[in-house]
Amino acid sequence: MEAFLQWWETNTLTRLFFSVEVIGRALPVIAKAFPVSLTFAVISFVAAIPAGLALAFMKMSKRRWVRLPAVLYVDLVRGTPLFLQILIVYFGLTLLPVYGDFVRANPWSKEPFFLGLDFTLWARGMFVLSFNSAAYLCEIFRAGIQSIHKGQLEAARSLGMTVPKAMIYVIIPQTIRRILPTLMSEYILLFKDTALLAAVGIAEMTLRAREIAASTLNQSGYVLAAAFYLVITIPLGRFVQRLEDRLAQSEGGGVQAAAGDGRPAESPQPAAADGAG
Amino acid sequence: MMKQSDEAVIRILGLRKSFGPVEVLRGVDLEVDKGEVVTILGPSGSGKSTLLRCVNRLEEPTAGEVWFEDVQVNGHKTDMNHVRERIGMVFQSFNLFPHLTAKGNVMLAQRRVLGRSKEEAEVNAVEQLTKVGLADRIDYFPSQLSGGQQQRVAIARALAMDPHVMLFDEVTSALDPELVRGVLDVMKSLAAGGMTMLVVTHEMGFAREAADRVVFMDCGVIVEEGPPERVFDQPSHERTKDFLGHIS
Repeated sequence: MEAFLQWWETNTLTRLFFSVEVIGRALPVIAKAFPVSLTFAVISFVAAIPAGLALAFMKMSKRRWVRLPAVLYVDLVRGTPLFLQILIVYFGLTLLPVYGDFVRANPWSKEPFFLGLDFTLWARGMFVLSFNSAAYLCEIFRAGIQSIHKGQLEAARSLGMTVPKAMIYVIIPQTIRRILPTLMSEYILLFKDTALLAAVGIAEMTLRAREIAASTLNQSGYVLAAAFYLVITIPLGRFVQRLEDRLAQSEGGGVQAAAGDGRPAESPQPAAADGAG
Repeated sequence: MMKQSDEAVIRILGLRKSFGPVEVLRGVDLEVDKGEVVTILGPSGSGKSTLLRCVNRLEEPTAGEVWFEDVQVNGHKTDMNHVRERIGMVFQSFNLFPHLTAKGNVMLAQRRVLGRSKEEAEVNAVEQLTKVGLADRIDYFPSQLSGGQQQRVAIARALAMDPHVMLFDEVTSALDPELVRGVLDVMKSLAAGGMTMLVVTHEMGFAREAADRVVFMDCGVIVEEGPPERVFDQPSHERTKDFLGHIS
């Protein structure tokens, strides 16, 4: 064992990337930064959901002047690198007069607020991530809503429902169910993208790993950080896969898919003989 | 000018509807009296479904007037949602809400549109589902029901709103032959119960048996109308004869 450890710590490959000693030193540091990454992802994502939904409805509007801003927003955000957006928005916000006024009026916002980071840091980081994610969610929501057969809206309308009521009680519940796997995949992407916040000095996992790498001249801290990302992304990815399989099964045999072409198939369920009426 | 009846539930005057350059309805006049069952027959593309969908304005008429009782359906200031509460519609593809059970489907609009309490809506839903022969299926989801059963849930869903008129848009066309009868039986008992019905169908048997009047449409106009015996047995128009000859 002793000999093996010695070999492990001297062999170039294992020493540079998997050093037990460096990982041991990095572990408490990365573990402490883990909730920072997670919080950025969760809150940014939750904030992006209503924004994405609003954008989706704007994009589906019949009015050009409602549609246009949403189209522009989505094109710009999806057409540029997130890294660049972070650089522009994160620092750009501090240049706004309103930002300076806010900080001067609220000195607490520069004190440690949560997990050792100050409020303005959290707010700016989350703003830029939500800003980015909302554009992707917009497209997911829009595709989801449009994938619901138009007969659903007609049925709801024929019962006297207003369009908002039809959306809330009929269309959105079906949409959520259908896009849940895609939404979760989007969350996984966002969680990984929090690493880019390292570039502006937010002390999340990747920044901490970089500090360790710089001080030890060793990559093992990065590898440890990667493992922390995987703890979230692999189980979630598996879960998405299972959701997708289940959805494919239920829709494949269900009426919704069949009704799409106007020829609803009989369900494969053991529905009792018809004609009882 | 059409005959004016005080009893008319639906009055359609000079109705025209175009989809882009295609004129699907080219001047239709039709009245449906209270308690009357009117079937609309005609080849596909004759505009019969479009006519039906103009009645509750799922399609916007291009010209002409559609009246429901004393309200002009295609008026600028008409509260369509209010009108639609009173006009039940059943579709070819059922359009049940797949995320709700049979009971949930029948309850939803009662609660969210008519503002009935949960208890009231539930009692009514069970009653309506029993009426269409599905008392033992109230907690099933649409995907667990046969097409015929789904269509009967759709009828119950419309009936639960206490409509003054029911529109049926080829409601048996998507069903396997052996499932058609159960749906037609429900429609016949509705007709016998005095419901005002406007029915687009290919079911000649139903038209003959349950209809007070048969309307034959072709190329966006009403070609011929009258009691079923007369239209079926002594059609006066060449196109009607042609069509009936192809069907039977």
